[in-house]
Amino acid sequence: MSAELRVENLRKVFPPTKGTPLAKAAIDDVSFTIAAGEIVVLLGPSGCGKTTTLRCVAGLEHPTSGRIAIGGTMYTDPQAGVLVPPRARNLGMVFQSYAVWPHMTVRQNVAYPLKARGVKRSEQAGFIEEALSLVELSAYTDRPVTQLSGGQMQRVALARSMVYQPQILLLDEPLSNLDAQLRLRLRDDLRRIIKRVGLTALYVTHDQQEAVVLGDRIGVMRDGLLLQLAAPDELYNRPADIFVAGFTGASNVIAGRLVSRDGARGDVAVAGETLIVRLAGDTAAGSAVSVALRPDNVLLEPANAGPNQFPGRVTSRNYQGTQTVYEVNLLGQTIEALEVGSSIRHAVGDAVTVALPAEVCWGYGA
Amino acid sequence: MDAQAPSLTVAIPNRHAERRWLPTAWSGLLIVILAFLVLYPTAMLLIGALTTTNPVVEGYHFADLSISNFLTVATNPNVGNALANSMIACGGGTIVAVLIGLSFAWVVVRTNTPCKGLIASAGMLPLFVPPLVAGVAWSILGSPKTGLLNLLAAKAGIPFHIDLYTMPGMIFVFGIYYAPYVYMFTAAALKNMDPSLEEAAEISGASALRTMATVTFPLILPAIISGMLLSFVVMLGIYGVPAVLGAPANISLLTTYIFALTAWSPPLYNTAAAVAVILMIVTGFLVWMQQKVLSGRSYTTVAGKAFRPRPLNLGPWRFLTLALAIVYLIVVVILPSIALLIAAFRKFLFIRDIPSLFDAKQYGWQHFIKMFDNPLTITSIINSMKVGVITAIVGGILAFAIGYTVTRSRAPWRRTIDIITTIPVAIPGLVIGVAYLWAWIGLPIGIYGTLWILAFAFVARFMPDTVKVLSTSLMQIHRELEEAAWICGRGTVGTITSIVLPLARPGVVAAMTLLFILAIRELGSSLFLYSSGTMVMAVQLLGYYEGGNIGITAAFSLVQMVLLGILITITNRISRGATPTGPVRTG
Repeated sequence: MSAELRVENLRKVFPPTKGTPLAKAAIDDVSFTIAAGEIVVLLGPSGCGKTTTLRCVAGLEHPTSGRIAIGGTMYTDPQAGVLVPPRARNLGMVFQSYAVWPHMTVRQNVAYPLKARGVKRSEQAGFIEEALSLVELSAYTDRPVTQLSGGQMQRVALARSMVYQPQILLLDEPLSNLDAQLRLRLRDDLRRIIKRVGLTALYVTHDQQEAVVLGDRIGVMRDGLLLQLAAPDELYNRPADIFVAGFTGASNVIAGRLVSRDGARGDVAVAGETLIVRLAGDTAAGSAVSVALRPDNVLLEPANAGPNQFPGRVTSRNYQGTQTVYEVNLLGQTIEALEVGSSIRHAVGDAVTVALPAEVCWGYGA
Repeated sequence: MDAQAPSLTVAIPNRHAERRWLPTAWSGLLIVILAFLVLYPTAMLLIGALTTTNPVVEGYHFADLSISNFLTVATNPNVGNALANSMIACGGGTIVAVLIGLSFAWVVVRTNTPCKGLIASAGMLPLFVPPLVAGVAWSILGSPKTGLLNLLAAKAGIPFHIDLYTMPGMIFVFGIYYAPYVYMFTAAALKNMDPSLEEAAEISGASALRTMATVTFPLILPAIISGMLLSFVVMLGIYGVPAVLGAPANISLLTTYIFALTAWSPPLYNTAAAVAVILMIVTGFLVWMQQKVLSGRSYTTVAGKAFRPRPLNLGPWRFLTLALAIVYLIVVVILPSIALLIAAFRKFLFIRDIPSLFDAKQYGWQHFIKMFDNPLTITSIINSMKVGVITAIVGGILAFAIGYTVTRSRAPWRRTIDIITTIPVAIPGLVIGVAYLWAWIGLPIGIYGTLWILAFAFVARFMPDTVKVLSTSLMQIHRELEEAAWICGRGTVGTITSIVLPLARPGVVAAMTLLFILAIRELGSSLFLYSSGTMVMAVQLLGYYEGGNIGITAAFSLVQMVLLGILITITNRISRGATPTGPVRTG
């Protein structure tokens, strides 16, 4: 029953309020397509528009313009006067607060959408059993939900959202209210369950780890813009935008000037030295660039000599047990280097040779 | 899941497009109902104040509308006199209330006085006593000639004499009965204050007294002013106390003056309307000031966490504070109760000597028997119950509809609905009575003379309080609980009945029982709206008092207090944890 979701040129402008006197676009021209059975995660800091996008798909928010089609049927198209209310969209949704109804038992919660659809009592039991066994809550069928733990409540919410075989499953930060350990377990369970049912899913979170584990593709959003939508490994290894690079952990930013370029390869002048980088955009030679790279891609004392190696000095050391983070002064600035392993290899004040591998130095027009 | 299951999809998307007028229609309907309940009577009251025609005889005429009619009334020396008397009585009463309420709050929150909990809860009891009953009890105790206190003092040879049929008498009774309002505001402020603010002052070298004067007091000043204004407003609208204590000495307050105008022959409805408008303006101004004080000047000493205030160790002095608290409770609760009991069960209120006070032969049920021999007694009780039920149901449903629309829906004109709902805050019960009188008495077919007009007036009068109670409990329901039901395929109405109502039930029950209790004890607006067939308890009690039979009056007061006590106990049982937290305007 899972269907394809198409979002085209979605835009949502909230009217000005006391706090924000200027009308601001919460979502600005967002377009993407989710294939049937695919899980797409929208990732971004709070206020980036990811939840608003999800709620527009659910029909809980009305976009200012743009179109949303599910399985080929147009559900939202304000220009054409089409705004199907949430109840008629046949979607499943898991809320951040679980939103399991506290005055009902587990069974009543899961039966609710079936009743709303007029499913016969005799047929309900089968669906309910199947949904509850999927989330491993069969033993709790007749418990009042208030007696459940947070993780169990979230699984009731999941069962409730899937019991009627919705076209699409929407998940709004479903794990953010759980404690860290439970979050890890449910994260893996969630992907397994969604994949087993074969549902199309749109998942919203601010947690990169969650996004990487759950998503077939990840869309990074900021300030209402969808910056990049790609498979996790592409996002981590070929970030299209300096913000995406920073958000996925490339916290070292080196400022310089692009001297020359040859296709995607560029030579950047930094503090009198030349740094070879890969260019993400079509930055012209002569313009200022920011180079981003991940601390774990910075090599201290490399085994072989090569390009992009510079002398540096360790200025601080932060031992974290299974890894050590060093701050190294080079090229006139401070960058972080992360070494995995429990041994400490450098001391503060040590002179070190630092390698910045060209294939992981991403340059963006500044 | 298996794919050939019965189709689980809902509805065709297109049918929803044509129902987008529905929210607009719904808001329109609410505004029409509110206009009928609030705006139309208020408008008729204003028109009444600006004309000289008698609505009963001549119907409504709008031709001679003129501000001069209103000015004639406003400049009448009798009106000025009543206004001045009201200001003196309520102002004096407020001062007494602040002194008592503030010291009570301090004793309960900030000292180690024994039995604090008991003092706190017993101190709230006066809130439940209808003002007329309080007035009756104190007239039994403190009338100049036959007052029990005066009689006993004379028999015991103590040179003590009080006369409560005076301005100081009214100020005293007002003050002791409305102290709980000030207490509620200031105790909350004291409780929520971060004790480190005071500790910082003391560490800076300030003495305890200096700390209190320079830190504690300024910080709770907004709460004090707010409680002060509220108690002033409530006193201003009270009819029972001045009717009982002021009338014998010919001291007119605005409320008693307005009623006297409509009781004259022929009734001066226009003058009454004009004086009611004056009362409404004064009240409106004070309510507006209170809102300003509450919103603007209150310092954010509340950080959202509960502080444990550091109680002051009073040493042996704590027994003095306890003694003072006990004296207050004796004066406010025990003395009036004893007075009502003696008057209700004693054959003759005359007391020959002290031993005869304890002579069992002097006591019996005769006043109760006589009271129930009067068919009007039973009629008034039944009528009050009927009006209470109608008010609770109509008011409860309407308040839920308004609360839901304003706090949860996206229907248009929500702000307008909210504002109209709040208007009655500034209208004393008596003024609502006059307004409803004006609105309906001149119409040949209408609700005047039925129980419905009483119920509608009560619904309008208590609307702000009911909506507040309900909105509070609605706002505690997480939005996503509702959204989840929509996603699951339920419509608005289905979601309300299956999710919102069950979850808001404690609030709904609390609001409805609150309405029921307020309705059966309401005197001010009933005075103008009852007829011989629709006599209600509060008015009947006034009738007994004015008829001069103090025994039956006391007996009926007891009956009402017992009824109210039972109802309040039941309410607390069924809506435990959901009782309104804010002060409710009663009286």
